[in-house]
Amino acid sequence: MTDAVVIGVGNEFARDDAAGIEVVRRLWAEAPLGVEVVEHDGEPARLMELWAGRKRAWVVDAVRATDGSPGTVHRLEIGAEPIPDRPRRDSTHHLGLGDAVELSRAMGRLPGRLVLIAIEGAWFDTGVGMTPAVTDAVERVAGELRREVRASARTGGGR
Amino acid sequence: MTHRDRTLHVAALARVEGEGAMLVRLEGGRVAEVQLNIYEPPRFFEAFLRGRGHTEPPDITARICGICPVAYQMSACRAVEAAAGVEVPEQIHRLRRLLYCGEWIESHALHIYLLHAPDFLGYHGAVEMAKDHREIVERGLGLKKVGNEVLELIGGRAIHPINVRVGGFYRAPTHRELGPLAANLERAREAALETVRWVAGFDFPHFEQDYETVSLVHPDVYPILEGQIGSSGGLDVAVAEYEEHFEEVHVPHSTALHARIRGGGAYLAGPIARYNLNRDRLSPLALQAAREVGLEREVRNPFRSIIVRAVETLYACDEALRLIEGYEEPDEPFVEVPARAGTGAGATEAPRGLLYHRYVTDEEGLIREAKIVPPTSQNQAQIEDDLRRFVEPRIEMDTERLTWECEQAIRNYDPCISCATHFLTLEVRGG
Repeated sequence: MTDAVVIGVGNEFARDDAAGIEVVRRLWAEAPLGVEVVEHDGEPARLMELWAGRKRAWVVDAVRATDGSPGTVHRLEIGAEPIPDRPRRDSTHHLGLGDAVELSRAMGRLPGRLVLIAIEGAWFDTGVGMTPAVTDAVERVAGELRREVRASARTGGGR
Repeated sequence: MTHRDRTLHVAALARVEGEGAMLVRLEGGRVAEVQLNIYEPPRFFEAFLRGRGHTEPPDITARICGICPVAYQMSACRAVEAAAGVEVPEQIHRLRRLLYCGEWIESHALHIYLLHAPDFLGYHGAVEMAKDHREIVERGLGLKKVGNEVLELIGGRAIHPINVRVGGFYRAPTHRELGPLAANLERAREAALETVRWVAGFDFPHFEQDYETVSLVHPDVYPILEGQIGSSGGLDVAVAEYEEHFEEVHVPHSTALHARIRGGGAYLAGPIARYNLNRDRLSPLALQAAREVGLEREVRNPFRSIIVRAVETLYACDEALRLIEGYEEPDEPFVEVPARAGTGAGATEAPRGLLYHRYVTDEEGLIREAKIVPPTSQNQAQIEDDLRRFVEPRIEMDTERLTWECEQAIRNYDPCISCATHFLTLEVRGG
């Protein structure tokens, strides 16, 4: 297992929900040694497996924000406090990313450092192709993440 | 708003905001209306597949669902092979069954431990339950992980397996590779047996339905990807005849299609249907566990589906071990499936129930028509009927409690909403 992992969560057939997947696809070819880059559907138990025991983990996902603006990027560094405003229950079927984080915390399986990067999307219907603002955000996040992951690999995991 | 006039609204798949997912309207102390609307990505894929090559459906349809990609791959392979008139050798069929056992273990463990058990134990969700019962959640995650390991070894990776192809696999595992997996499956089998005993001790609401159950049926094995389509009403027909006996109809309140028995009504697919129609073909260990915990021969209480899932998880571990023990490496991991004009149907038992595919191919092997009927679509009308009958005698319950119990009644079906979206939020509003 590598020290670090970058996880792109999403569904490439649900328009803007592909954002996380598209970000990691831009990192694959040039990920530094010791960094695993993974596409993921967000299933919580496998997500927990994937980041448990790592020194560093980044997760990129698309979100729908109420009154948001597509392409806006949010960054959340997971600390000692639980994630605020986690929905009581996300789904009759699926747990969400927030649940995976909090379940990991309850089970003592959080990685040393966990960063969530959320890209606001507008269009989540079934289909392929993202809205232009989200595509721009994907390029921006991929560039920033590339630099951050490289810097982190050089310093061996420090913040 | 009076207590007897209310609307329970389990609403809005957040990523398809505005579309109601479930609505129960009470008027004068009676259930006036129940509407369930589950978004159905297969419709998009049916169109997306047209014009694609006959070898592509397993890879493309696997993307419909992250939880049950193997089910989509297997139904697709069976249908394409039927269209080309190809039967795969027994060794390949058994390897497919082994892969599918991994998916049953993974999917059932996820639903039992992280989604359904918290309802019975009075927790809002798995996170809260884990704070009090960490060792139990560890057991569930451990069980699920072994399911993942089966998918990784046989399928190449845990989501959207890449080792599956029309006609078989790109590569078959060696005996040596299966050894460590067998050791883990033995531990998983123990955990599954404990799971059966654990969930059988829950309190279940008093609620029974006289279901018409539909699943694959087979004279020799508990069906996963073989057999005819059978029902408690006496149906026993070839998979290719599915559409002669079942239809999908538009209902006014939903953009989704509801499946019905032609000339009949709603029916139940899934673990309860499989169990009721095939109980005697469970492995001795799984059957013994079902008997030990007092699981009735014919399950009519949908809340007890959690016990059936646990029994099936135990069966899947047991069956995977049997398949590994008798494993013979095939000479070739696949058989050629030629491009040919034809029509072929395939049905397998996804964790949530019967999954039907049909493809029409032309002489170049290109897909001209695709039809995919997922289990959740088949169960929609039955879920509505469950809700209608479940709510009526509980009409005096406070809204929060009743909405909670309705959600639980939906969760009995492990509905595959995640195929389309991650979120389902809950909203109660005045009627």
